[in-house]
Amino acid sequence: MLKVLLKKQMQEVFRSYYYNAKTNTARSRVGTLGGMLFFAFLMVGVLGGTFFMTAGEICGPLVDLGVGWLYFTLMGMLAIFLGTFGGAFSTFSSLYLAKDNDLLLSMPIPVGVILASRILNVFFLGLMYAGVVYVPALLVYWIKARPGIGVILCGLIMLLLIALVVLVLSCLLGWVVAKISLKLKNKGLATAVISIAGIGLYYFLYFRAQMLLNKLVNNAMIYAEQIKGAAKGLYWLGHAPEGDLVSLLIVAAVVAVLLALTWMLLKRTFIGISTATGAVATKVYHEKPMQQKSVSRALLGREIQRFLGSPTYLLNCGLGILLLPVLGIFVLIKSEDFLYMLGGLLGANTVPVILLAIVGMLVATDAITAPSVSLEGKTLWLIRSLPVRTWDVLKSKLNMALLMNGVPMLVAAVLCAVGMKASLTVSILFVVASLLLTVLFALWGLMLGLKMPNLNWTSETAPIKQGGSAFFGMFGCWLYVIAFIGLYLWKGRTLQVEIVLGAYILLSAILSLLLYLWIRGKGVRNFESL
Amino acid sequence: MLSIEHLTKTFGTVKAVDDLSLHIAPGEIYGFIGHNGAGKTTTLRSVVGIQQFDQGEIRVGGISVREDPLAVKKILAYIPDNPDLYEYMTGIKYLNFVADIFGVSKADREARIHEYAGRFELTGALAQPIASYSHGMKQKLAIVSAWLHDPKLIVMDEPFVGLDPKASHLVREMMREVCDNGGAIFFSTHVLEVAEKLCDKVAIIKQGRLIRSGTMEEVKGDDSLEEVFLELEAE
Repeated sequence: MLKVLLKKQMQEVFRSYYYNAKTNTARSRVGTLGGMLFFAFLMVGVLGGTFFMTAGEICGPLVDLGVGWLYFTLMGMLAIFLGTFGGAFSTFSSLYLAKDNDLLLSMPIPVGVILASRILNVFFLGLMYAGVVYVPALLVYWIKARPGIGVILCGLIMLLLIALVVLVLSCLLGWVVAKISLKLKNKGLATAVISIAGIGLYYFLYFRAQMLLNKLVNNAMIYAEQIKGAAKGLYWLGHAPEGDLVSLLIVAAVVAVLLALTWMLLKRTFIGISTATGAVATKVYHEKPMQQKSVSRALLGREIQRFLGSPTYLLNCGLGILLLPVLGIFVLIKSEDFLYMLGGLLGANTVPVILLAIVGMLVATDAITAPSVSLEGKTLWLIRSLPVRTWDVLKSKLNMALLMNGVPMLVAAVLCAVGMKASLTVSILFVVASLLLTVLFALWGLMLGLKMPNLNWTSETAPIKQGGSAFFGMFGCWLYVIAFIGLYLWKGRTLQVEIVLGAYILLSAILSLLLYLWIRGKGVRNFESL
Repeated sequence: MLSIEHLTKTFGTVKAVDDLSLHIAPGEIYGFIGHNGAGKTTTLRSVVGIQQFDQGEIRVGGISVREDPLAVKKILAYIPDNPDLYEYMTGIKYLNFVADIFGVSKADREARIHEYAGRFELTGALAQPIASYSHGMKQKLAIVSAWLHDPKLIVMDEPFVGLDPKASHLVREMMREVCDNGGAIFFSTHVLEVAEKLCDKVAIIKQGRLIRSGTMEEVKGDDSLEEVFLELEAE
């Protein structure tokens, strides 16, 4: 039974690799393989490669000092951080908001089996994200220490245990969000705000711990003995993959207890939450004067309501809206320390380019347009049957993304420009380049949404988080930013900043224009053929 | 009002609609019946411009769906077999959205929402999110929204599914009112008793081909519509 449900879950997750929604046909084997290989390249080659290099830098010194466990503690916590970041935002909807909950609950399937299939889905997602950090960490250690098969086995078991820790954290967060959302009136926005606040607190505490660990790395030998005595949990977490069986058993036992408690909690509450209609009092409508809006405003309003009405959409595609102004304020307030640090590391002239890359990375996390076509889902008939031009529908998706991201980006860019105390020309170029990135990324996301639509989903997590368009929407933009900053640091540091920013503006403008033309032509036809 | 000439639509190697032609005049309620998968929904979706077709021509009020789909959509309304509406909106926001798209004036929308939502006893629920509506309430909301812009042609796919007897009766009344005012209704149904009582004309489709059409008397003669339908299906 579990196998059947899990197969269904996996079919949904990987649906876009096997099925072309645009042509309503199965993809060829070559197309399926190509899509999977590209995904594997991004996960293993790009993300995994980045963490491989990070691990390579800290593994050697710590192992040489005889505190290899500290290396694993650091990488383990990083894996938990990324794994929880990857899964936390979607756990609530994955567990409780799937459209087939009612159908499955009406069938002779034990609740535990339905829940297990949902949880396994979350587990695999967490394993993927945590593995991107932890597998390179293990490889680097094995290359360095050349351990025996026993240590290798311990490392692999730890990978699974870390993924289970991620699962426990994600599930508990999803459960808390679900319990709170049942009590709320404006569920979408309030759930998102509470989740962000909760996650903010989690990561605040986490970063405090990270800062402490950074101090520990710098003074590894001094503090290592103290951790062994005072923070045994961290010690066991790091010592187990070194082949210490006692540590491994302790970690496994703790994880098993946590998992069992989480399982009991979720199982007891699953039916109640997933079938609840909420305790909000019914609001009775009283007639009042209405307003007439233009078609473009009506379409934009529809997109905004869609965005604000879904905590999953907001959390996964709207974090940058919050983080961009925070970054701007941070740069403005801490400009002396922050810019001094950046300048000291890479040269004072690089600051505007580095800051542009940072704001670019942040706005790239808001892939609002990427899932917007797929999110039409079964309601697509509605917009297609109404007398509106397809281009107006697509334009409203773009406008919503530009409105949501453009304003915070403008605030962030202006504050950064003021904070970095550059010349007027550089400041203007910086602001223009930042805004143009917002435009480019919105167009890129929409193009992907039109190329890789998935209208048949049972949980909106599928198009928002697991869809090809959402994935490539975010990572494609990150690649664009990373390639730019990498190329600049490698070959362009001697160039004037004005020239670098100007060239980036020109490139972004050309790409934006090409994407715009594609969407107006082929994109419109793609949407009409859905 | 509606003219379908030699409509053909193929999905892969399967002909969903095969050389179908029919005509609906103003004032007519036209029933469209056939077994599951016969091609009814494909035909209706082609008429309202959300399904591209391979061959043939469809004209609504003399306007070609293929050449000017927007002009066609402005004068018709469509209610699908499953009312998947925007669940993130409240009922009233949804109605206002549809009214905005059709450019319905402030006064007209207020009057029509008051009238139609009132008739379906839906007014009090309009402040609720559509996600909280039952299937029947969604169907009622879809019907109210379809009537908002005073369409000339209303295309309905299984409009009575999920409606309570009172609402079902009300919909039949409203359909007749549209036709009395010079409009037309084209709808599919499996409820043959309703079709027999309500329709001026009827068409029976089987495996994508129109096998019989005309006035109710021409199609069924002295038999019941159910008997004729079952007989034709057995052939």
